[in-house]
Amino acid sequence: MNSKLHHLVLAGTLLCLAACTSANPNSARADTTKADDQDDYDVATQISDPLEPVNRVTFFINDQIYKWALKPVSKTYTTVLPKGLRECIDNVYENAKFPVRFINSGLQGKFDRAGKELQKFAVNTFAGFGGIIKQSNRIPSLTGVPSEDTGQTLAKWGLGHGPYIVLPLLGPSSARELVGFGGDYVLDPINWGFFFEDADDWAWIPSTGNTVRALPLQLQRYEDTTATAIDPYTAVRSTFVQNRNSAATE
Amino acid sequence: MNRRLLLTLFCCLPLGLKASPSEAEAKLRSAINEVLTLADRASTNTALTVSVRPVLVRYVSFETMTKRAIGVGWRQFTPAQQQRATDLFTTLVIRTYIGKFTPGERPVIDYKIATTPAAARVDVPTSLIYKGSRYAVTYRMEQIGGWKIADVVIEGVSMIANYRSQLDATFKQSGAEAVIRSLEQSVSR
Repeated sequence: MNSKLHHLVLAGTLLCLAACTSANPNSARADTTKADDQDDYDVATQISDPLEPVNRVTFFINDQIYKWALKPVSKTYTTVLPKGLRECIDNVYENAKFPVRFINSGLQGKFDRAGKELQKFAVNTFAGFGGIIKQSNRIPSLTGVPSEDTGQTLAKWGLGHGPYIVLPLLGPSSARELVGFGGDYVLDPINWGFFFEDADDWAWIPSTGNTVRALPLQLQRYEDTTATAIDPYTAVRSTFVQNRNSAATE
Repeated sequence: MNRRLLLTLFCCLPLGLKASPSEAEAKLRSAINEVLTLADRASTNTALTVSVRPVLVRYVSFETMTKRAIGVGWRQFTPAQQQRATDLFTTLVIRTYIGKFTPGERPVIDYKIATTPAAARVDVPTSLIYKGSRYAVTYRMEQIGGWKIADVVIEGVSMIANYRSQLDATFKQSGAEAVIRSLEQSVSR
């Protein structure tokens, strides 16, 4: 009995050791794409970029527009308006975007997150004077709720990025994220004025305000990515892909 | 071989491979505290970049970072080229990291539950509130002669993956010397 047990245990041990040391099916690929065993960066930033030559031209033009037109606008905005007032404006716009986060949380089956979004909206709208003050930050369960958007919903439903696209002015995107952007645009109340027939006179005000107030942070992120980059185009593409992939899995 | 020896072998195999989240997190906390102490004393980012280097060299595996940022091409670098690339990449990473600091502003860091995605690796997620904004920052810790930081992932964006996409392409197009020249150009900006 003892002898049989010994053989069984020995066979088990050898099998375990063999499984640990045998070449895994990915080892051939690992040899050609990985720097070491723990290196998992070879696939982290992958996206199809068949339009690269056109994208690089658009990227260059955008870069010049950011530098010479949008940065002065952003600088003027941050100089003229005090920080506290800018924060209030940001809070109002973020609070107004509630339908984007709420509906997309629901579409992804994240009903707990949708519930938290609803609570945040109620607290900030009623106790925060229409969203001017972000009172939800005082409630621990309502802080740090990851925000959902239509691009993330499409990713959750199994859609891949499709080709990488650099949009004029708007910057990095992909086929999926472009559709997602359309969804967010329709769901965001600040754009609803455009859907009225007699909206020409005032509809542009909320959306232009939103663009201007978002500029300082967006340009800061762009500069952070490109300042120490070796190839700014690749660095922005890599940052975009990783950021969107991470948001989709949160 | 007796039964006790075999059982010991069975028991020790998984234990020997298991990463220790608490040790890794303790090491990370020490590193962050030392950096923040230096940041409090520094009046400019340039001064902080100089003073923080010896501290980061102790806690960060810059050689591992450089190797993975370059990718499979690293194996074709000569030892001298590897050393030169590591020195340049260290400067670049420190400059990138310190560039995010503003003297006088102290972040509030909330450490979340660490995970062990692989043997000898612990990921420590944190939530960082800095200048009124909240950021998700994950530190990748690995056993490289003790627990060392091997990557910093901010809002899902890995510092190493970001450079990998750039340096790997440079290596494939033009080789090791071109990678070193690219790093030199970035450092000299």
